[in-house]
Amino acid sequence: MSSRKKLLLKVIILGDSGVGKTSLMNQFVNKKFSNQYKATIGADFLTKEVIVDDRIVTMQIWDTAGQERFQSLGVAFYRGADCCVLVFDVTAPNTFKSLESWRDEFLIQASPRDPDNFPFVILGNKVDLDNRAVSVKRGQQWCQSKNDIPYFETSAKEAVNVELAFQTIARNALAQETEAELYNEFPDQIKLNANDNGRNRDGDNCAC
Amino acid sequence: MSCASELSQSHEYLSFRSSIPLRKIVVDSDNSKAWKIFDSGPRSVACPLICLPPVSGTADIYYKQVMGLASRGVRVISAEAPPYWNLKEWCDGFKRLIDILELGKVHIFGASLGGFIAQKFAELTRNFPRVVSLVLCNTFADTSVFEYNDSAALFWLLPSLVLKRMLMGNFTTDKVDTRMAESIDFMVEKLETLTQSELASRLTLNCTPNYVQPHLLSDIPVTIMDVWDESALSSHVREDLYKSYPHAKLAHLKSGGNFPYLSRSDEVNLHLLIHLRQFDGTELSSSYLSLHKMPPSQSPTDSEESPINYFNQSEKYVQIS
Repeated sequence: MSSRKKLLLKVIILGDSGVGKTSLMNQFVNKKFSNQYKATIGADFLTKEVIVDDRIVTMQIWDTAGQERFQSLGVAFYRGADCCVLVFDVTAPNTFKSLESWRDEFLIQASPRDPDNFPFVILGNKVDLDNRAVSVKRGQQWCQSKNDIPYFETSAKEAVNVELAFQTIARNALAQETEAELYNEFPDQIKLNANDNGRNRDGDNCAC
Repeated sequence: MSCASELSQSHEYLSFRSSIPLRKIVVDSDNSKAWKIFDSGPRSVACPLICLPPVSGTADIYYKQVMGLASRGVRVISAEAPPYWNLKEWCDGFKRLIDILELGKVHIFGASLGGFIAQKFAELTRNFPRVVSLVLCNTFADTSVFEYNDSAALFWLLPSLVLKRMLMGNFTTDKVDTRMAESIDFMVEKLETLTQSELASRLTLNCTPNYVQPHLLSDIPVTIMDVWDESALSSHVREDLYKSYPHAKLAHLKSGGNFPYLSRSDEVNLHLLIHLRQFDGTELSSSYLSLHKMPPSQSPTDSEESPINYFNQSEKYVQIS
């Protein structure tokens, strides 16, 4: 497999409703911010090409509805995720407390091969506001306790740290995807043989 | 190939075939030619999603879309054309078909040749638009990407064995997972059922030099769906299509091979729903339900977890706290 193959990185953003998931995605992809709050319904995604370590990769960033916390979004949504971004609102301590359960939810749904080393990134959003209630230290401590998850304090409104955070997200996702590809070669081949009922598979393929 | 493929014996496929009749509709003066369609979902919806198969496919290859989207109230029609030997005839036939079905405008999901024809149909009907939106799956906007351009005029006289060979020969399947292998088996099985004239006419359409003028379609919402693995289209062809439709939503799939609607149906259905959702609440909606609302048993994606669970949606109701 050529390493120059174009790569698709799937990133999933989770967090309580109103923490700014959609705004962060829009700020990063479209460089736009709107003060108007519109609840996300279902799931939606945006794509953006970025350059990571001299490689062009395409990020497919999935935004979710925070309200759907207790509703499973289904496997299709989580399948093949390369990085999970957990967002909280630094002015709302509840949203910080939820991080743990969002992380668990993701690990259960996506069931990544190596859950302990799956890349997460935590974003403490809305640092532009004055009424901050979760300290930097508290955020950092939690992240350290979880196997050193990268932590960024962002403002989607004022575009603080958004670019930097997504660069890190892309880089960690790329590392994950490259690893996943290594894993992929083997089990697939075995599955194919097991399924092959002795039929000659060469040429069993249609062009159009 | 006497034994039936895994998918055609699956519970989902069997319940599809037993619940939705295959209709044959003659639209041409020539009575021997009939369109084959599966029409599912509420007849009250006048803007359904029409699925057009690739060269090797039959109408039933979209059973996972028909079944999966049914639970969201989407009317899905999978339509397979009789042999037409040029695009003009094909499009005229298709227009008569949607007239006979009393449809106003339609959304089209087309894979490969189906996607190319969908674009041509939208182009030809642009003055009296019949196409609301397009979802183009692993497809192209110019037939010159195929190597048989010169010989296309001779396909009509080739025996079907040769034609099948042309379709089946090209690929190495060194990296396929179980679901992809199953989708290939299923498509090969479908290919075997096609007659010489069906195959020859489709290959002729596929390879006769022709191209779409995408700038004529710039006001039609487009989602481009493509698979980024080795076996499907080359990245060059994919990039050309992105350039043709700079306004399109790009729904890339990491893997799935040539037939993602079979091998990655849950992801494909999710993308279809996201695409169709933009017409919610308008007269152009393909569903009688709001696709924005998560259904009681939630998510677009979820209905695929088990092939039959769209039957028992209500049991899976989860209260949002």
